[in-house]
Amino acid sequence: MRFSDSFESRFTSMLGHYPTKRSVLVPTLLYMQDELGYLTDEAIRDIAQRLELTELEVRNVISYYSMLTTRPRGKYNVQVCRNISCMLCGADDVIAHLKKRLGIAHKGTTADGMFSFEEVECIGACSWAPAMQVNYDFHEKLTPENAEKVLDEYRRKGSQ
Amino acid sequence: MPDVNITVDGKKLAVPAGTLLIEACKSVGIEVPSFCYYPGLSLQGACRMCLVKIEKMPKLQTACTTVVTEGMVVSTEIDEVRQARKAMLELLLANHPLDCPVCDAGGECELQDMTFSYGAAESKLIDIKNHKDEQQWSPVVYFDRPRCIMCYRCVRICGEGMDVWALGTANRGSAQLIMPNHSDYLECEECGMCIDICPVGALTSGAYRYKTRPWEMKHVGTVCTHCADGCKTTLGVRRSPTGMQIVRGDNRDKSGINGDFLCIKGRYAFDFASHDHRIQQPLIRREGRHVPASYDQAYEHIALRLKEIREQHGGHAIGVIGSTRTSNEESYLLQKFARLLLGTNNIDHHRTADFPSFAGALARKKDATASMRDVFNAPAILLIGNDPTEQHPLLAWQIRNNVRLHRARLYVVNSSPIKLRRQAASFTQIPAGSEPQLAAFLAGDDSAANALASGEITREALAALRDKLRGEPNLIIIFGSELRGSSIDSLVRFGAAISGAKFVCLGDYANSRGAADMGLYPDLLPGYVPVGSGARFHEEWGAPVPTEPGMNLLQMVDAAKAGRLKALYIVGANPVARYNLDPFALSKTFIVAHDMFLTETALLAEVILPAANAYEKSGTFTNTCGDLQLLKKAGDITTVKSDFEMLLRVADRLGFDLRQLVPFRQAERADLGQSRGAQSGEADRHAIWLEAHGLEPKLSPFDPIAMLDEIQRLVPGYDVSRVELLAGNDQHTSIEAGVASSIASQPELILPANDTLFTSGTLGRYSRTLNSVIENPRRAPADKADREVVV
Amino acid sequence: MAVIKDIAAIAKGMSITLKEMFSPTVVENYPDGPGPLKGAKFQERFRGVHVLQRDENGLEKCVACFLCAAACPSNCIYIEAAENTTEQRISGAERYAQVYNIDYNRCIFCGYCVEACPTDAITHGHGFEIASLNATSLVYRKEQMLAPLPAHLGSNAVFNQAETETGTPAVRS
Repeated sequence: MRFSDSFESRFTSMLGHYPTKRSVLVPTLLYMQDELGYLTDEAIRDIAQRLELTELEVRNVISYYSMLTTRPRGKYNVQVCRNISCMLCGADDVIAHLKKRLGIAHKGTTADGMFSFEEVECIGACSWAPAMQVNYDFHEKLTPENAEKVLDEYRRKGSQ
Repeated sequence: MPDVNITVDGKKLAVPAGTLLIEACKSVGIEVPSFCYYPGLSLQGACRMCLVKIEKMPKLQTACTTVVTEGMVVSTEIDEVRQARKAMLELLLANHPLDCPVCDAGGECELQDMTFSYGAAESKLIDIKNHKDEQQWSPVVYFDRPRCIMCYRCVRICGEGMDVWALGTANRGSAQLIMPNHSDYLECEECGMCIDICPVGALTSGAYRYKTRPWEMKHVGTVCTHCADGCKTTLGVRRSPTGMQIVRGDNRDKSGINGDFLCIKGRYAFDFASHDHRIQQPLIRREGRHVPASYDQAYEHIALRLKEIREQHGGHAIGVIGSTRTSNEESYLLQKFARLLLGTNNIDHHRTADFPSFAGALARKKDATASMRDVFNAPAILLIGNDPTEQHPLLAWQIRNNVRLHRARLYVVNSSPIKLRRQAASFTQIPAGSEPQLAAFLAGDDSAANALASGEITREALAALRDKLRGEPNLIIIFGSELRGSSIDSLVRFGAAISGAKFVCLGDYANSRGAADMGLYPDLLPGYVPVGSGARFHEEWGAPVPTEPGMNLLQMVDAAKAGRLKALYIVGANPVARYNLDPFALSKTFIVAHDMFLTETALLAEVILPAANAYEKSGTFTNTCGDLQLLKKAGDITTVKSDFEMLLRVADRLGFDLRQLVPFRQAERADLGQSRGAQSGEADRHAIWLEAHGLEPKLSPFDPIAMLDEIQRLVPGYDVSRVELLAGNDQHTSIEAGVASSIASQPELILPANDTLFTSGTLGRYSRTLNSVIENPRRAPADKADREVVV
Repeated sequence: MAVIKDIAAIAKGMSITLKEMFSPTVVENYPDGPGPLKGAKFQERFRGVHVLQRDENGLEKCVACFLCAAACPSNCIYIEAAENTTEQRISGAERYAQVYNIDYNRCIFCGYCVEACPTDAITHGHGFEIASLNATSLVYRKEQMLAPLPAHLGSNAVFNQAETETGTPAVRS
């Protein structure tokens, strides 16, 4: 399978970092997912072949990590923390509001493919609770209002 | 390394450094409960059942992953530990359905035992248990997810042990589950190791499913009747209207040469025994059709015709074909029957390896053959030809696990990229059919390398391989039927230069080696003694036997075609299908067949006698390595008889003195009662018949142990410990030929079976399980109704 | 005085007689009594011929776990298990007893089977008239011991329905 050159060079250099080949599996899967949006069957076959693993082993690893997915996701993956700090600071309201605005439930994707929504456990931003993560970016001290603004911003960016 | 001193529950003990704490405890009889720990598999530490208190460590430690250290003080029976175990059980049972009455593992479930010991069946959780429906992964594997305790045993045995890697774990936390390689079904070797190793009833067997309960069965440890590796299989036997029915096979007690290993054939392919097509009564052909007859009529008919032919045309007009699946005693009796009674040396069997040449090459060499156990312990192994993964599953298992656990060096030379190359330190692919040249090259003939070198395999690489092998003391050399005749000589010459080198010659069927050892050859008596120099046998048998070599199998068929062979006595063989013979060639010959099914060969017979299979009789089997093992009778099927008995009944009708055939009441050795116990039961069953014939009912001629007596006296290499044998242990026999040079092995007659994991000669056709798995190319649809008919 | 003593004694004796005349009969009028039990009376715990119970859906409770057979000291229970299919569902769990025989030649009515049963499938009923001149007829098959279907599930449910539900004889004398 053909990936970008930066992926290939990163993959090659990573192979040398570990004593066994399979150690590069998790970072490689993440990079693949970044390129493809999700882990396709073809990608899974490809990585299994590259690392001399069975497809089953690759799938087992993917199913372990919630950040890896084998189903298509929206362009922006909105993950709102529902763990204790965020919950006490009002994450429930943010979650309820965003769900209503986006019209999707937990792990859902909007019809236009722009947003996916997920409630997640602690994302390590307790000091600025409630917090959410959109792809790799953090947004903190959320209220239903400013959370919606954040999403509007993404929608604008995404539809350009 | 010096021993380490530790204290467990106040007991002081010294164990080798590097021992796991759980094993150290076991060595002094202290049981530390565990689910995920399994000897021989990698450590997991998943179930947390083996928590113990170690002094100076802040928290409880898992005994299965802790290595003993000097001065360690361990407590396994204090309240803290008991409390922890109980808590662990409670967590394991949190979503366990506790449906023991329905579960097939009930009665032999480790979780059940633990729950009885620690009593944590009542959960503190009020949530409703999360039920998931049972899944069928293959015709033989069922998965019940809520019962699973995530110990990973199945995952590890499938990956590490079998090198199949068909099972894995998906998800995490409470959603974690075991997953087959095709997400909802399995494609694997279908060995069923995962089922047997499962400590609970999460993985259950399709063949045994809901049939009975472990305490309702009789458990008989006998030898598998499929390939030539001689795995011990413990058959679960249940009474049935036909006498007995085998409902399952396993080897959970790890007895025998195979430990807990069994392949699909050992574990499931006993079902041919209860196949509908099994012949239930003697058949005699009258006016072109086989009609049922009584045993007496059949014996009478056979005796009459054989007597007539012997008197009119002489013994050389009669041929005998023996079996590779009958016991040693039966094979021995058959050749004695042929030579002594019919007066012919026309006796042969389906040869799958060149054992005579092997014996000739090893003449007067001591300890030159390796046992199946040696293969697991050897420091280095050379494998030439064959594909053990398919044809010798136990051998492959021994090699694989030797490499994994003992870091043995495996050298594979093969014409195709066989699966065992994954374990090999070096894999050399040579052109198909060039194995003899390889043997010559190894023996020092450098010119032979021309035929071998191609592409990456250069002459230098071959020479390097040879040098490396020469520097491997105690090397075990295993070769398939690709090597025959003088090639075996070359290989043995090569091995002679390596100190402690041992050999294994691979035959294909359960008792191929036994058939060869017992002299089912036209030119060889038992123990590879040429027919011309069998004075010992003549003396023992008390009558002269023909000293001219007889006809081999193909010659017999030719003679039959030409009308010179008037009768052919076939015991448990299917030469018509195996050698692709023209059935019309045998149309003028009087054929007697002992068989279980109406095979291509049996169909040609004038008289067909319904034979018992290896699970229905006692005796001994010799596996391809030469390990002699006791065959125990699982039970009697009312309608069939053993070949041993039928041969003797025919001999009796021929007016022969049975004492001359079977030396009963002449036994030199004590038989310790086993041969006449409930297990064998021969003597009791035939007491009436014996009385009627004025014979002594105390030790019957139908008792194969009497024959074993003679075998042990006369066949070189079979003089092994009888006590060990009767106790169910394997005994390694040595192979030695009296006169090496005079053996004409006729390598062209060798026809490898080329069975796969899912076929087993003619027998494999009649196993529904073997034919139902998707991996079998000859698969038949395995719907439910079909499965129910099977057993 | 002696006369008075005698009269007193007779009076006392007769008073008991008279009292008993008006109290209910103790002797059982079996087998001439009324009702299907012909006048026989039972303690509820009486251990008679076994009844194989059904659940509220009319499915057999027995899952063929063989525990009764294992517990049986006289080895009188014979079972063959089979698997339920979606087309043919016999018991509530995955497996059911295809054959369930109790040999009443051997049964000693000890009740161990009832105690062993994890699903409360086997119980002792109050049947006791099983004497026979033919020993082979004493091997009871599953069909002979199975509780009838509940009234709302089948036409066959009139017989002894109340008894099945309460575990006591339906008719008392």
